[in-house]
Amino acid sequence: MSVKHTLAPFSAWLQAFSKPFTLPDKHGYREGADRYRGWHINDTKKCIGCGSCAEICQNVAIDMVPVDDPVKGDSGLRPRVDYGRCCWCALCVDVCPSGSLGMSNEYIWVEADADKFRYIPGVDPKPWDNAEKGWRQEEGFDLVDHERVPMPMLDPAERTKTWAEVVIGYSEEEARQEASRCVECGLCVAACPAHMHIPDYIAAIRDGDDIAALNIIYDNNPMPEMCGKVCTRRCEGVCSIGVQGDPLAIRWLKRYVTEQFDDLKDVVHAEVERVGEGKKVAIVGGGPSGVTVAYYLAIRGFDVTIYEALPQLGGATFFGIPKYRFPMPSLEKQVKLLTDSGVKIVTNHRVEKDEMRQLVKDNDAVFIGTGLMKPYGLRAPGEDLPGVMYALDMLRDHHIGKKVDITGKVVVVGGGNVAIDASRVSLRLGAEVTIAYRRRKVDMPADDEEIEDAEAEGVEIIPQAIPLRVEQTGDGRLDFIWGPAEMVQEEEGRRPRPKLIEGVENHMIVDRVIVAIGQGAEHSWMPEEIAEKIADKRGWITVDENGMTAYEGIFAGGDLVNSTADAISAIADGLRAVVGIQKYAGVLPQAEDEGSEPVAIAK
Amino acid sequence: MTTTETAELRRRVQLWFGPQHPGITGNMSVQAWLEGDTLTAGVTHVGYLHRGFEKLMERRRYIQSFPIVCRICVPEPDTNEYLLAAGLDELSGLAAEVPERGRWIRTLVLEMSRLQMNLMTLGGHIGAMAMGAAPNWLIAMRDFVLDRFEELTGGRIYHMFITYGGVRRDLPEGFAERMEADLEAIEEKLPLVDNVIFDSSVFRKRAIGVGVVPEEWVDEMSLSGPIVRAMGIPRDVRKDFPYEKYPELDFEVVTTTGSDIYARAWVRRQEIAQSIDLIRQILRKMPEGPYCAKLPNMLTWTIPPGQTYVRAEATRGEMGYYVVTDGSDKVRRVHVRAPSYVHGVALLERMIPGTNIADLAPLMVSFQVCPPEMER
Amino acid sequence: MEFNSVHDILDFAISKEQEAHDLYVHLAEIVSRPELKKTFGEFAQMELGHRTRLEKIKAGELPGLPDTVVQDLKLSDFLVDVSPHANMDYQDAILFAMKAEKRAYDLYIALGQATSDAGVRQVFDGLAQEELKHKQFFEAEYDDVILEGN
Repeated sequence: MSVKHTLAPFSAWLQAFSKPFTLPDKHGYREGADRYRGWHINDTKKCIGCGSCAEICQNVAIDMVPVDDPVKGDSGLRPRVDYGRCCWCALCVDVCPSGSLGMSNEYIWVEADADKFRYIPGVDPKPWDNAEKGWRQEEGFDLVDHERVPMPMLDPAERTKTWAEVVIGYSEEEARQEASRCVECGLCVAACPAHMHIPDYIAAIRDGDDIAALNIIYDNNPMPEMCGKVCTRRCEGVCSIGVQGDPLAIRWLKRYVTEQFDDLKDVVHAEVERVGEGKKVAIVGGGPSGVTVAYYLAIRGFDVTIYEALPQLGGATFFGIPKYRFPMPSLEKQVKLLTDSGVKIVTNHRVEKDEMRQLVKDNDAVFIGTGLMKPYGLRAPGEDLPGVMYALDMLRDHHIGKKVDITGKVVVVGGGNVAIDASRVSLRLGAEVTIAYRRRKVDMPADDEEIEDAEAEGVEIIPQAIPLRVEQTGDGRLDFIWGPAEMVQEEEGRRPRPKLIEGVENHMIVDRVIVAIGQGAEHSWMPEEIAEKIADKRGWITVDENGMTAYEGIFAGGDLVNSTADAISAIADGLRAVVGIQKYAGVLPQAEDEGSEPVAIAK
Repeated sequence: MTTTETAELRRRVQLWFGPQHPGITGNMSVQAWLEGDTLTAGVTHVGYLHRGFEKLMERRRYIQSFPIVCRICVPEPDTNEYLLAAGLDELSGLAAEVPERGRWIRTLVLEMSRLQMNLMTLGGHIGAMAMGAAPNWLIAMRDFVLDRFEELTGGRIYHMFITYGGVRRDLPEGFAERMEADLEAIEEKLPLVDNVIFDSSVFRKRAIGVGVVPEEWVDEMSLSGPIVRAMGIPRDVRKDFPYEKYPELDFEVVTTTGSDIYARAWVRRQEIAQSIDLIRQILRKMPEGPYCAKLPNMLTWTIPPGQTYVRAEATRGEMGYYVVTDGSDKVRRVHVRAPSYVHGVALLERMIPGTNIADLAPLMVSFQVCPPEMER
Repeated sequence: MEFNSVHDILDFAISKEQEAHDLYVHLAEIVSRPELKKTFGEFAQMELGHRTRLEKIKAGELPGLPDTVVQDLKLSDFLVDVSPHANMDYQDAILFAMKAEKRAYDLYIALGQATSDAGVRQVFDGLAQEELKHKQFFEAEYDDVILEGN
């Protein structure tokens, strides 16, 4: 052993004089790195309580717990983190569909009570709540798929030449891929008026079991093919993936499943008790609410008859919705399942006062779902000129096969779905179409996609245009005169109202004016003693929690009852009446009486 | 052991080395028998960790398995993260989509991980001989690397950073400069460490010629890593079965001769220098671009049925993952082929007879035993 | 018309509200739609409420008329007038009511402009604002319910 090797260890002493590596002050605080994964923070106003964080946590360290002041429309739950289990992997942060969850760069927290190390970030105040640094979501790394599988559509230029469906539909592969984007949070279930089992059928589609998916869908929707094509899809509005990406194409997935079967008879298996044998129910109006009541009562053994004034069931989904959105074979398929299930259908038959009195007498219950069939008028001078017509009448005539007189240049007054449908039908009848709407484009009640499609097909939209009057021109055309509007906000949180800017008049020379401003109830067929009891001042019908009106034994639903005027709300009304009628008839099974509550939702 | 052997052992002094002992390399213990100062036999005992990582993964979605695997070797978690990611990338088809920059960052993380692990192990070598100064310095140097890990991955020890399709984040602004400053600080201190380790008569006396592993055992026992490289065999997965960006990096496999504790420590010392060089190369060559592929929904991700074996060079030797998927959203089976299982159980038990009691701790450190790898 | 005091004016206004009430009661009788009978019954009650309010102001139980300016959507300006008939629907009823409130508003504005007494004009202006508020109520209903799709 050399001298060098003997002396070498002593060189360590030299280090006594060098600068230490360690922090000089034992109480010194060292800040965590910019993206340190420290204690959680949560922007509870942004959080929607979807529970994806709890779902991805491999330690089950996150529980979703109810909080006092939830935001309307979310689950009312917020994540609570248990630091006895948390491993700070930050998957919860990276998966968070709303982007509300983060981690601060704080890592020191001293507490004598171990139970304190479990709190609801953002709700239980902590010193690091406003920490600017720490682990956050970053662009370029997503644990959920934000991109929707695009829906194949007809080329806009081709569309107006035909009545073929504009939306082509997902292929099997596209549907499975789209379904795999779902995080199964269930916010959609609460948002759906009918509380359809959305995550369940999406999971079935993802797993390749279309029959199971269809049966899950038929559990609470007897017109899924209609909903799959034209539903207002409030589910997609609350979809957690939609906060930062494209919401799941829930409507298109439902459409995909229903399109896989040409005949539903042997595919849909209703597993319910036939408790209603010997009971009779009459349904006035064959729209979505009436069809719902008919189907779910018929499979329970009730003797059900639907009375419909038009030649086909479907209500507004038949006579209002154009065939390029909802073709007849789709409707017929669903109606066939109704007849297969034993529902008697009387079409082309308008129930009048005396017959209604008789129906009430002869049946255990009567359901009214006649909808809003009376178009409101323009009530501007010139409304009665030839060439001015109502969209509702025009669409109905067109769909029952009557010739409609659309030609040349058309202005459609209104911004709802009816206005858009009337515009796109007019386009296909060869007209040139402009929409005049009183409010802003964002205020249009019509579906955004519908508006986009209409514009792509060549419809021009003039927003903030108040119709003033219609005049006849010398050469027999019409002068549609409108004034510009400014928007005034009366109350916070309400939609602003348009106010005429006086002194300006714009002229538009057209051949037809189609009025689609709104519609009301028509009760002239109803016996006075019934109408008096059940209709309110606006003509709408109020019902109790069982769907029953103030007139014992008469139930109601659909556009007459709810103010949302969409098919899925009508179906929801129908489902409520199905329970109500069974209860009223004294045959409701105990298990169904308790009902199944959807996931908690903040009101 | 035969009945006669057991009966024989009963007549000797029995000693439990660990699980609570500063010289043991983690949560395991060695039951040893003594004759004088010399160990005549030893049996390893594990089971103190009690987690069952491989089984846990069978009950978790793919993404949920990823925070688990880092625990299979606490001081060097990244090899595990990489191997699970590489295996599932391959089986799912995601491998084709891992962006270039993602692969470079993976390689960077793996090399940083090797660097800090070798710094710590080298400290362990001399710490196990009850010399305190150099381990303190080496741990401090390791902390420089951990600082960089912290700003890159958000964590110092468990990085949970390499994942399917790439990595979780891009390099922060100015990372390369700070890394370079740290590398220089480490390089500056290393001669000092060399002085008190490799030049020290204490270390030389206790390491040279001690714990010599015979070359015949290499293939017989599937030995790998510094143990074989200290015999002069240039075996290194990074060269033999190159992965990620190693084929584009310029390095030689470190070898020496002697096959004793000193040789193994020397290999580690040279690999510290090698890692420093590789990190510099990586930071220089790394292109711009995305760092992770577009991932499918991780809550419902399913992978078609398949199986694969992927391997990487950990500081301890060859680490491999045998991954089986069955088309569901969870792995059917993950088998971790970890070097410590070979080195810490089979090789150690075979090496114990004849070893001086004071040399047991240095011997274990030189095999770099990581107990979670034995009870996965 | 000659008004000698604030009391006279309020008496006039009260009689106007009473007239309106009586008209709605009459309409409720003549319309054929049962639900519209409720509508007009409700309108009649509202006019009664306005009458009571003016009586309280007259008796000094309530502070004077407000001088806040009410938002005017001017919907009734460009919509056609409705004459009462048996087949009226809800749209007609609201339209009729907002036109009636507009006439009352116009009347008070005209009366206010006809007088040279600043104090009297202030009372008329106040009454006009009251009527405007009533008109606004119906216009908002028209905007929300009838023009839901426009």
